Amino acid sequence: MFSSIAEVQQKLSEQKYLIDRTVATIIFLALKLQKPLLVEGPAGVGKTELAKVIAGATGSRLIRLQCYEGLDEAKALYEWNYQKQLLRLHIGQVQNKSWEEARQDIFSSEFLLSRPLLEALLADESIVLLIDEVDKSDEEFESFLLEILSDYQVTIPELGTVKANRIPIVILTSNSFREFGDALKRRCIHLYLDYPSFERELEIIYLKVPEIQQALGRQIVRFVQTIRKQKLKKAPSIAETIDWAGALLNMGVSFIDEEIIRSTLGILLKYQSDIEKISSKVSSYIPE
Amino acid sequence: MEAKILEFCRLLRRGGVNISFTQIADALRAVSEVGFCQNDFHTALCSILIADRADKPLFDKLFRLFFLSLHKQGRVLSGRDAEEEKSSPDGLPAELAQQADGSGMGRGAGASPAILLIKAVREHNRLLLERLAEVAVKSLEPVSRTNLQHMDTMVVQAKVAIGWYEAVNRLERAKGLENIGETVYTGWTDSLGWLEHRIEQLLEDIFVSMFGGEAIEEMAEAANLKEKEFYRLDNLEIDEIRRRITKLARKLASKYARRYRRAKRGEIDLRRTARKALLTGGTPVRLRYRQKKISKPELAVLCDVSGSVAVFSEFMLQLVYTIQNRFRWVRSFLFVDVVDEATPYFKHEDIEAALGDAFAKTYFSYSGFSDYGRVFTQFANNYLAGLSPRSTLIILGDARNNWRLAEKDYLQTISEHVRRIIWFNPQPRDNWDKEDSIMRLYAPYCRQVFECRNLRQLEEVIEAIL
Repeated sequence: MFSSIAEVQQKLSEQKYLIDRTVATIIFLALKLQKPLLVEGPAGVGKTELAKVIAGATGSRLIRLQCYEGLDEAKALYEWNYQKQLLRLHIGQVQNKSWEEARQDIFSSEFLLSRPLLEALLADESIVLLIDEVDKSDEEFESFLLEILSDYQVTIPELGTVKANRIPIVILTSNSFREFGDALKRRCIHLYLDYPSFERELEIIYLKVPEIQQALGRQIVRFVQTIRKQKLKKAPSIAETIDWAGALLNMGVSFIDEEIIRSTLGILLKYQSDIEKISSKVSSYIPE
Repeated sequence: MEAKILEFCRLLRRGGVNISFTQIADALRAVSEVGFCQNDFHTALCSILIADRADKPLFDKLFRLFFLSLHKQGRVLSGRDAEEEKSSPDGLPAELAQQADGSGMGRGAGASPAILLIKAVREHNRLLLERLAEVAVKSLEPVSRTNLQHMDTMVVQAKVAIGWYEAVNRLERAKGLENIGETVYTGWTDSLGWLEHRIEQLLEDIFVSMFGGEAIEEMAEAANLKEKEFYRLDNLEIDEIRRRITKLARKLASKYARRYRRAKRGEIDLRRTARKALLTGGTPVRLRYRQKKISKPELAVLCDVSGSVAVFSEFMLQLVYTIQNRFRWVRSFLFVDVVDEATPYFKHEDIEAALGDAFAKTYFSYSGFSDYGRVFTQFANNYLAGLSPRSTLIILGDARNNWRLAEKDYLQTISEHVRRIIWFNPQPRDNWDKEDSIMRLYAPYCRQVFECRNLRQLEEVIEAIL
């Protein structure tokens, strides 16, 4: 694990993920205090990616639980393997086993299908548990999560209480699709990932698209940062800046002008109305 | 230090931030992990105590005032480490710092402050901006304790002193004349925003240095939007409340959607199941369920829009129309001493535009003074046909009738016609039935009467109509 804030920064940058000290401090704290880390922020700033690189930097296995409407315990925690149980009962019948014996048999861990949450608790190695887009799940699931995240243990009626072998690093992400309960929020450490500053985004571009020329890189980032401030349906994310930079590089462009921006705007913006809005005033957004 | 952190949490609570006991305990643990380096300390407290992003500005403000201004913990909270110094956006390169020693102002000694301000904004000269902020604040008259209530006016005065409005005006013209691009212009507005914020900070510092912790406490309380009475809100706060109402509305709407989805089918309908079972020789092959009827209330909102009640009425209309899918229909009426229907304007998708239209185009005021008696008479005579015994009528008003006739019989007629009347009164309960308030005369005809003077109460009472 990490011993200092600076180490968090360094280890993550080795994974090609750049963060500033504030973010590093929060990650450091979440790991030290063994509390779930709730990452919020606009789409495309690298929330999910953060979980992946933390797993990479700590040498942990990543277990991912994608949330959606209607996700329930059976899919998130565990389920009995009914088919296998039925088979077992059938064989038991043939062998004339008593009910007691059969019952003992079929509710053992052999017949348990562990889903991501249980898997994370039972694992022997170090685990990063990523609960992605927690805001898309239902309220009931949220209160159920609360139970697991507060004690890192769950009770399975037929088996008893399962306690985590090692406390996993838990990372929750949310797009603020809906407000979720205070109780869950208070149990977490909060990290708000915003779009990066100019310098930071530039560093990221140089890191991910190393062949790009300095001047072009600056122009690209300046342009993206400016249109992010406009009212758009969906502002371009870091991933889109990287894609755009890559595309321009492949096109052999050495500086951007109106013409080039208009023809490649689709890489940055995903809504027709946004594209129209920006391309109508492209010249005023072009950095000098 | 632990005592200080506890004290700080108490301040945040006064400012309307919810903080649990565990959070405080965690914060203490966190601080012991990261130490007292100012930035890390700030990050640690913030990431644990602030669960709602909307509270972040308040946190930053109180943190600055409490730890840096009041307790001069700048030294205890050791400075940023060297690496941070360079990358921090507020940090100033050394050569500029020297230049700032008066030379910035010196050069402009003869020029008006507005010209200096324009120069500073165009050059993004943070040091010059900082100096301007200082000049602006110094220009103010010595502050007294009571000024604390009027912080916004003081900020405006300070801005006037450095020619703010003139400068903004000229910059806007320059944008057009010199064909300035969006990139540059955004930079300008950023600089202006920074300066305004800095003036506020300097002012706050003055208050804290003069009146100590009490001043911070007062500022925390003033920032608590949930408890602030509607008629005391300024424009920025009204915007913020609007945002919160939208959020509240979304919460209410989705809450309903989830319940609806889960309980779409009710219990097993034995009678129908048995009857169907006859077809299959008595074996119930398919179960029949009782359909759950979701009762959608019909809602009519009758809003007093005179003076101090207007803001509240606006909030209520915004809320009701944002969640109008929860009602069979919503009709709205505005009045001061005449009542007029505003429903058609809310066909508009944009609620803010609709509100503007409704207030501009409905005819609701003859004399400018509320006349509930006349309004109820008119309502009972003209609009009752549009309401049914299933309708809920909400009346928003302070029941201050300007000593005119109460005409409570007409309210009775209305109440007999509709399912229920609910009255929201934005005045403190203590003031009801004093002076020209005649709440007690009208109350008997209402199913419920609520006091509703701030956001917290609005959140509470809105459940009553759903």
